[in-house]
Amino acid sequence: MSNRSGKDTGDGFWGGMRNGLSPMLNKEMRSRTRGWRSPVLLTVYLGLMSAGTVGFVWLNTAQGGIYPQVGLSLYGLLVFGLVLLLSFIAPATAAGAISGERERRTYDLLLSTGASLTGIVLGKWLASVAYLLFLVLAALPVLALVFLFGGVPPSVMLMAVLLCLLTGLGYGALGLCLSAVLKRSQAATIVSLVLVFLLIFGTPIAAGIAASNINNNVYVSEYYSPETRPIGVPWYLFLSPLSALADAMPGAGEVGMGRGVPLISSIMNELMMQFQPQVNYEYAMKMSAASSIARVGSGQAVTVSGGGTGADIKTRGLLASWPYWTRFALHQGILAIVSLLVAVTAITPRKPWHVWRYRRKTAGP
Amino acid sequence: MIKTQGLVKKYGRVAALQGLELEVPAGAVYGFIGQNGAGKTTTLRILAGLLMPDEGWAELAGRNVVRDPRGVRRVVGYMPDFFGVYDDLRVGEYMLFYASAHGIRGAGAQKLRDDLLELVDLGYKRDAFVDTLSRGMQQRLCLARSLIHDPAVLLLDEPASGLDPLARVEMREILRELCRMGKTIIISSHILSELADLCTHVGMIREGRLLRQGPLNEMLAGDRVRRFIMRCIGPVDEPAGLIGNRPGAGVLSTGPGQVEFSLAGDADEAAALLEEIVGSGVRVTHFAQTEQSLEDTFIQLAREVNGA
Repeated sequence: MSNRSGKDTGDGFWGGMRNGLSPMLNKEMRSRTRGWRSPVLLTVYLGLMSAGTVGFVWLNTAQGGIYPQVGLSLYGLLVFGLVLLLSFIAPATAAGAISGERERRTYDLLLSTGASLTGIVLGKWLASVAYLLFLVLAALPVLALVFLFGGVPPSVMLMAVLLCLLTGLGYGALGLCLSAVLKRSQAATIVSLVLVFLLIFGTPIAAGIAASNINNNVYVSEYYSPETRPIGVPWYLFLSPLSALADAMPGAGEVGMGRGVPLISSIMNELMMQFQPQVNYEYAMKMSAASSIARVGSGQAVTVSGGGTGADIKTRGLLASWPYWTRFALHQGILAIVSLLVAVTAITPRKPWHVWRYRRKTAGP
Repeated sequence: MIKTQGLVKKYGRVAALQGLELEVPAGAVYGFIGQNGAGKTTTLRILAGLLMPDEGWAELAGRNVVRDPRGVRRVVGYMPDFFGVYDDLRVGEYMLFYASAHGIRGAGAQKLRDDLLELVDLGYKRDAFVDTLSRGMQQRLCLARSLIHDPAVLLLDEPASGLDPLARVEMREILRELCRMGKTIIISSHILSELADLCTHVGMIREGRLLRQGPLNEMLAGDRVRRFIMRCIGPVDEPAGLIGNRPGAGVLSTGPGQVEFSLAGDADEAAALLEEIVGSGVRVTHFAQTEQSLEDTFIQLAREVNGA
């Protein structure tokens, strides 16, 4: 397609997408690396990580020598901190992306171009994801300190990086969605931070309460009874990165005294074990199984092995055989897609219900 | 080139447009006149594809704004009344950003950027940050931005608002240049005298309805009410009273030895009024019809609507 002067302006869905993606990515990346905000954020972010690392090592050496698992503990602490930091930075940076255009009064100018709304939203989202990738890469030297102590394979560290990015993808899209819906950056930032806090910490608490109610009614003698099948891990728990954090820790799946990774990994193991009935846990420990148990939805019972933290004998549903991090990835993907669709709908001048109402009233030429 | 029929737009219970019928021929410079809240911005936003009408339809260059908004965006350059800039971009980057958003990239985009910045006399500011530009420069930059994809139609919402007199003159010169380039332009403005200098056609809107539209010269010539100025020696109270009491006449303003008034009717009516004033003993030194302005026409139309 060409305009009046015959210049190529791109056409169709992909043309409009490219017209949105390419300039938005370019501009957003340029904007994020200019001015004082980016260096300040990076300094605070790396400062917190470094301070945590130095403080942890200092506390350990002050107690008279470094114990053998200090590297693993430090790694667990760093990954936990990194995921938490990125969980809040991702929506906070994305929350001003669209509302900021409205506040700057550049919104109409943007919408009157040849860029499609999907391209604009995707461009802004990918720019925030790229910025998160930059933050994750910037934190790698701090994470790499654990190699001085040993015990952490690079594959596990890659898993941690992947978890950080998955967290950023989902929560960043959530921030972008709120930015499109709420119109004001301040409101979008506050609401997105509260929502992310609830998703990270609220879902495990809610799942814990639900699991404890059911566990109280489970008796060993009724283990094989269909009515008392384990509740497994509820789906909404996988909206929290804590659900998958154990997969990014060396020794995940090994539970019990003296085994597995201390500190954070143990906390994660304990957290995930909360959603297994005690009978399963005891049985699994007796059989020395290192596999997971979970139930998703109300699918048919299947026998699975491997993946995730905890112990597993029987579970139901297709997703139950997936490792925790893949289930977390799936949920973050769904969260991202739904959020981006809502964002596109919120910014379109031709909302579906407007078009429907218009067609009812008007019969144009 | 541009046509709307029965356009209706409501914001809640407030009707911004109530069946607007607009017709702008190709190559025209159309002055869109109306008070605040008359529906000018709503109309322009609908024409730019940024707002859905509730009823009616609008076409630009054969493209329906509701059914083919993407096609409309390709032929329309829109400049809103209030706009912002990306303060972290340089002038050249700002232009390239919008060029890319219109699908124009590479060397062609760079040449367009340079040409358009020269057109609006901002070539020397190419490497300056956009937020360091004055208001007038930002207006010109926004106009250059709206031209980046060489649109056939330009929708300019109050392009001269907030500008100092010098910047207004510069803006007017640029718009004249665009007229010569054959663009079809709709300009909404409060500064009616400037529209009279620029426009070939005028449309007057009030409370979402078009009062009148047509070629500028026909609009001005077709008025029945004319404006007069009378100067005399001595106090003006007596002649002002006489004018005020005459049917079809109304005092617009008075000053030392001067009365400005409007009068409906032809030259005979004016001669009769003059005769009456002179006959009452007023020593008249000057009595003449002043040039009819857009402002007069608009005020007259507004009064007619109020009277109705």
